[in-house]
Amino acid sequence: MNNDIVGMLLKAWTVLVIAFLFIPIGVVILYSFNGGRILFIWEEFSTFWYAAALDNHRILNALDVSLRSALLNVAISVALGTAAGIAIARHAGVWTKPFMFLVGLILVTPELVSAIGQVIWFNRVGLDQGIFRLAIAHSLFNTALVTVIVRARAEGISQTLEEAAGDLGAPPWRSFLQVTLPLMLPAVIAGALLSFTYSFDNVMISLFVQRPGASSLPVYILSSFKAGLRGDVAAVVVMTLCVTIVLVVLSALLLRGGARRVNAF
Amino acid sequence: MRHMNALSRKWLPLLPATAWWAFFFLASLIGIVLYSFALKAPIDAENPVSFEILSLSNYGEALSSVYVHVFWITIRTAGVGTAICLLAAFPVAYLLATRIRPQWRLWLLFAIIFPYWVSFLLRTFAWRIILAPEGAFSKALQHLGILPGPLTLLDTQMAVQMGIIYNYLPVAILPIFVALERIDPALRRASADVGAGKATTFLRITLPLAMPGLVGAGILTFVLAAGDYVVPAILGGARGLMIGRLIALQILEAQNLPLGAAMAVVLIVALLAAGLIAALLLAIVRRVDRRLQGASL
Repeated sequence: MNNDIVGMLLKAWTVLVIAFLFIPIGVVILYSFNGGRILFIWEEFSTFWYAAALDNHRILNALDVSLRSALLNVAISVALGTAAGIAIARHAGVWTKPFMFLVGLILVTPELVSAIGQVIWFNRVGLDQGIFRLAIAHSLFNTALVTVIVRARAEGISQTLEEAAGDLGAPPWRSFLQVTLPLMLPAVIAGALLSFTYSFDNVMISLFVQRPGASSLPVYILSSFKAGLRGDVAAVVVMTLCVTIVLVVLSALLLRGGARRVNAF
Repeated sequence: MRHMNALSRKWLPLLPATAWWAFFFLASLIGIVLYSFALKAPIDAENPVSFEILSLSNYGEALSSVYVHVFWITIRTAGVGTAICLLAAFPVAYLLATRIRPQWRLWLLFAIIFPYWVSFLLRTFAWRIILAPEGAFSKALQHLGILPGPLTLLDTQMAVQMGIIYNYLPVAILPIFVALERIDPALRRASADVGAGKATTFLRITLPLAMPGLVGAGILTFVLAAGDYVVPAILGGARGLMIGRLIALQILEAQNLPLGAAMAVVLIVALLAAGLIAALLLAIVRRVDRRLQGASL
């Protein structure tokens, strides 16, 4: 009986927390279809602001900047992080501890601090190109993220397959390409998708390192708050939400498929 | 020679990432420290920062009473937010780890992670619609007679506090869940077998073993909240201030990189100090707890 009451309370509380987490998201989606001129006063259902958002060339330009810098950031972090993650899982040495300390340091540094460092350093070394500034600044955190994810996967899979490839006479680069990499693929893809969404959603670092004319979408949205809330901002935000959901579902499906294939070995 | 080759193959793949971080990350941290001792150059100068005189004047300004007040508000807002997040998160994590059917667990876990995938801006932005004085929620509250006038929460420190709790609640749930999940159920059964009641088992077994998760969740939430810029910028208006906003103001609008850098250093030191105090308190609590347990045996 006592047990039941505790269980009921736990469930009721969890339902409340989930509702608290989801209601605001639902509210934005609902109000993005508000045809009224003032966002938070509901007038009528309309897709007017979606059309307006898609006609706004500043929004499209920001989207373009966001996509390019996010993809460049993914390329950098996946290349560097995958190599490092596999190496750190496979070979221990005096370098393991300092390297993982560096990874940890990058992961715990507050974004604000990292952002100030980037703006100071980029200006100092004369890195002026807007998209490169965004991509490099985002890639620092994401390389660490990919390293951690790939390392966890590499430690979870035994080395026997790679050793077998070596025993059968495959040169190291071939066993890497044909055995190690396919085994790591789920982790690499998950890392890539996480890096993409991190970059695509990032506000603080982008705000600091951006160049005039090369604002990313979140920075554009933030700046348009100051000009007043309009429906097109809500519409853009909901559209980016859809992109994120598609990516998350995609990565979940890929990861499940990947896990099944590896387990079949 | 062959030996050297084999050895270098082991650490060579780490080199690109290390070099990347060394050049862009470590150098930038050093840059922050160096800049914090420099001065903002006159407007017509070629370089916006002058290293001719190195001084502590930025720190003097960063620690002047106005800024110290905002640092205090930041630590307080992040601290209260972290405490509420942990309290709200624990029952959810507990349910998730111990009392849920496996087929439901995945969905619940997904429901908790999902908001974190949703853009931070969207989640914060939502509260402007919900809390709007002329919005539907405010009207409903007035209609029901709960509020005498329109909602006045927006653009206050209260709204910032709420936005912080809302945004970081999922972050707090996951580490606690992971710690609880790792506890072997046999431990709880063993505790019941030797005659401990449910409350005793919870206090003596579950809670101490979940401590690392709670501490991890607390540190994560606190660091993220204390460095936040978006929530105070969107929900705080002119009255809701956190240090992130002041630092952004110095760097983006006043173009005073040295002062912003000094404030960042102060923020880091304040965070480390807060972490140290938390660790110290935890150690004291543990020691007292052990004494009490020793006395009762």
